[in-house]
Amino acid sequence: KPEGTANAATPQAGNGAGESDGGTTNNGPNGGSEKRCERASSVSRDGETPKPVIAVSTVVPARAAPVPAAVPEVSAPHDRQTLLAVLQFLRQSNLREAEEALRREARLLEEAVAGSGAPGEADGTGAEAASALLSRVTASAPGPAAPDPPSTGASGVVTVSGSASGTAAPGKVGSVAVEDQPDVSAVLSAYNQQGDPAMYEEYYSGLKHFIECSLDCHRAELSQLFYPLFVHMYLELVYNQHENEAKSFFEKFHGDQECYYQDDLRVLSSLTKKEHMKGNETMLDFRTSKFVLRISRDSYQLLKRHLQEKQNNQIWNIVQEHLYIDIFDGMPRSKQQIDAMVGSLAGEAKREANKSKVFFGLLKEPEIEVPLDDEDEEGENEEGKPKKKKPKKDSIGSKSKKQDPNAPPQNRIPLPELKDSDKLDKIMNMKETTKRVRLGPDCLPSICFYTFLNAYQGLTAVDVTDDSSLIAGGFADSTVRVWSVTPKKLRSVKQAADLSLIDKESDDVLERIMDEKTASELKILYGHSGPVYGASFSPDRNYLLSSSEDGTVRLWSLQTFTCLVGYKGHNYPVWDTQFSPYGYYFVSGGHDRVARLWATDHYQPLRIFAGHLADVNCTRFHPNSNYVATGSADRTVRLWDVLNGNCVRIFTGHKGPIHSLTFSPNGRFLATGATDGRVLLWDIGHGLMVGELKGHTDTVCSLRFSRDGEILASGSMDNTVRLWDAIKAFEDLETDDFTTATGHINLPENSQELLLGTYMTKSTPVVHLHFTRRNLVLAAGAYSPQ
Amino acid sequence: MYGKINTTVGPALISSTYLLCIWCFYLNPQVMAQILKDMGITDYEPRVINQMLEFAFRYVTTILDDAKIYSSHAKKPNVDADDVRLAIQCRADQSFTSPPPRDFLLDIARQKNQTPLPLIKPYAGPRLPPDRYCLTAPNYRLKSLIKKGPNQGRLVPRLSVGAVSSRPTTPTIVPATTAVQNVLINPSMMGSKNILITTNMASSQNTTNESNPLKRRHDDDDDDNDIM
Repeated sequence: KPEGTANAATPQAGNGAGESDGGTTNNGPNGGSEKRCERASSVSRDGETPKPVIAVSTVVPARAAPVPAAVPEVSAPHDRQTLLAVLQFLRQSNLREAEEALRREARLLEEAVAGSGAPGEADGTGAEAASALLSRVTASAPGPAAPDPPSTGASGVVTVSGSASGTAAPGKVGSVAVEDQPDVSAVLSAYNQQGDPAMYEEYYSGLKHFIECSLDCHRAELSQLFYPLFVHMYLELVYNQHENEAKSFFEKFHGDQECYYQDDLRVLSSLTKKEHMKGNETMLDFRTSKFVLRISRDSYQLLKRHLQEKQNNQIWNIVQEHLYIDIFDGMPRSKQQIDAMVGSLAGEAKREANKSKVFFGLLKEPEIEVPLDDEDEEGENEEGKPKKKKPKKDSIGSKSKKQDPNAPPQNRIPLPELKDSDKLDKIMNMKETTKRVRLGPDCLPSICFYTFLNAYQGLTAVDVTDDSSLIAGGFADSTVRVWSVTPKKLRSVKQAADLSLIDKESDDVLERIMDEKTASELKILYGHSGPVYGASFSPDRNYLLSSSEDGTVRLWSLQTFTCLVGYKGHNYPVWDTQFSPYGYYFVSGGHDRVARLWATDHYQPLRIFAGHLADVNCTRFHPNSNYVATGSADRTVRLWDVLNGNCVRIFTGHKGPIHSLTFSPNGRFLATGATDGRVLLWDIGHGLMVGELKGHTDTVCSLRFSRDGEILASGSMDNTVRLWDAIKAFEDLETDDFTTATGHINLPENSQELLLGTYMTKSTPVVHLHFTRRNLVLAAGAYSPQ
Repeated sequence: MYGKINTTVGPALISSTYLLCIWCFYLNPQVMAQILKDMGITDYEPRVINQMLEFAFRYVTTILDDAKIYSSHAKKPNVDADDVRLAIQCRADQSFTSPPPRDFLLDIARQKNQTPLPLIKPYAGPRLPPDRYCLTAPNYRLKSLIKKGPNQGRLVPRLSVGAVSSRPTTPTIVPATTAVQNVLINPSMMGSKNILITTNMASSQNTTNESNPLKRRHDDDDDDNDIM
């Protein structure tokens, strides 16, 4: 069926072309609309609603009318744009067959018009534009691959996101354009140029003047425009190879930008040619994604009114092309409020990006039969039993029968069942819990620091098991070393021959399988071929994961101390990896800007979390294992749903790449630390920033909440550990309708009150923090004398 | 012979050494330190400059060598800018690869994320991928000796290298023909599954069954998971 209609379509194009030499204007639009009707009929034959296509067909003749359309190819590229919009609509409405049929036809159509790199057509401009368009068509016909030639004097002509880059676009367009996140027009416009390059400085100065003369209350909000516009205009000049204009544009305006964008500007200053951009994926992503700005309606009206005046049309088009303005109703924000939330490479988060429901509650603990021994008589799953001597703990006692509405259903994601050894672990955990110290501002934890000596700045990753019995260190010499923290040495399992000799029925069979001859305090694991940047123990202490610069994640057995599996997928350095709190799943994030979810028994990832604009530096599981948080070098933190891979939250506000993440034990909050030295606290349910902890003077590279969430410990490259009062920080949250709707929170300047203590080390950056089950702090770092 | 070299390679050689001399004038530590400063890097060990210079020099000579080859292929008398440009482009595609573009990543992410999470089989022991994707196979092979030793009656598995032999469905046991002396099966190099498969013979079966401390049930079709 689709073939039939396609054949019908192409001869029509041919006919149109044949008759166009005569210069008749009628055939163009008619040819266009006829094509449309063909497509409509093919769609209706598929049994889908022909509505969208018919709507297009009515639109097309109207738009094609002002254009002389001597060549039907002229209408074809904006057909392409409408085509893509239609494709996107069909995809979103799950009209798969229609979409496939349309796509197939569209491919054939594109081949028919591939030769002519005709630009898109102007929006309702007059004959002058039409003639300019015509001259463009003839001028660019021989050179399809070239980007837009500089406008031929008719600077009034605005090309609205036509695919002017000719053949470069079509190949990409088919596969690229129809996707969920970036808009169709955004992708196409990434290759286009607005207006005259020499005028860019004037446009920018004009806007700058306008904003600086506007009312105070609006100025802060409108000033958000400077940075994204500056970068986009500069990148456009570079991409279209106007090197001198780009340089002078940069010289003139880079000093005006906010201080927290200085690192980006430095990178930009080295990008002077189009070839430089090719290798820089982050900048390319920036070009094709829309920078999100949140502006109040009043400020927006002001801006729009100003820019839609005749002489400012250029910059209005640039704004429309590269920026997404999320409008909210309410008071314009103050500079302070704005500064707290901006800073990321993608702007802020759209309000609707943070609206979806997140199950941040914890999974119910399974009920375990505790064997009653004389030590303690807790029967933990009998709720009513008054036998308890100790006060009930949240995890085991006073469990309400009804489901926590914020907790995910138990079987939302498949989780491994509890083995006997896991049940024993849990019992051990509960026993330790009873002896746990209650922390608070008047009862601070002791900190035990493990310093790695003679590491020569090679310590790149550290992890500690949950019961604090083992420490693993990943090093720049590609080794992973495992130490035993307790006096109990590390042993590996006996050889097969010896194993056959032991008595399998004895009680201590798990001890007997261990080979005493291999007992040592340190085990070295060789295998990686690059520095090891991430390490993670499994909750059952059987496995260790390590991720390295060689692009692989390795699974090591802690019973034989050998490597079991190498997971290949990232082909670039993997910066972090972590096991799920229930084992079996693990997540890894790396230089290729994605995080991947794996299961130990699958050699390929189960989920790919793509969306960040720059490297994923840090990956952490939520305590209920249903969500993964990733912190990236694009200065955003994203929360992903394990079930379907969707990004459910985007948190912006950091001014530097994020290096540490931790969830609170109750699952409601997230703490993040970055190179700007600040620790930010986020409420996951509402998707809002709820706290800012200032104090560190260098990158915050480790964060950990205490076991019951009362204290947050942060370790930094400034060689200190700081303890913060978490209960107070989360205490009074304004969560009224206004703040939830608009996302504005007035953060109190209470970092000093929340700081409970600063503990300095002797020139040892604190790479890892860990709270033992009894709330003792273990910290780790490598001594680096300066 | 020398004359021949001079006529064909000579001019290209001269022009390239000329270019190299120009470059050497600029490739000195002061310039490199200035470059680092411009990129905002203030904190570095002194050896970094040497390494950067070495890299720069090696890169330039590689490009110029390639450019020489291209220009001589095109039978041009001199190396010109086009040759150098071509050389740069070819090298860039080889050594300086960049991660995949965003649209590609979003596309494969969408495909991957559509499949539901696989259910987890209970009682599966160590959950590892099929053996061919693990690193648990022996990476050595034992050569058979010519003379048949006294160990005829003993366990004589024939081990071979790599993943091929670890397929559970193709046990390549040929006990009688090749007698292997002093077989050292190092279980720490192999997963217990492998021992199970390759020594699929009477004498050692019982021992290897118990070798797994987690007491996994022997399950032959574990590896036929439809992971792909």
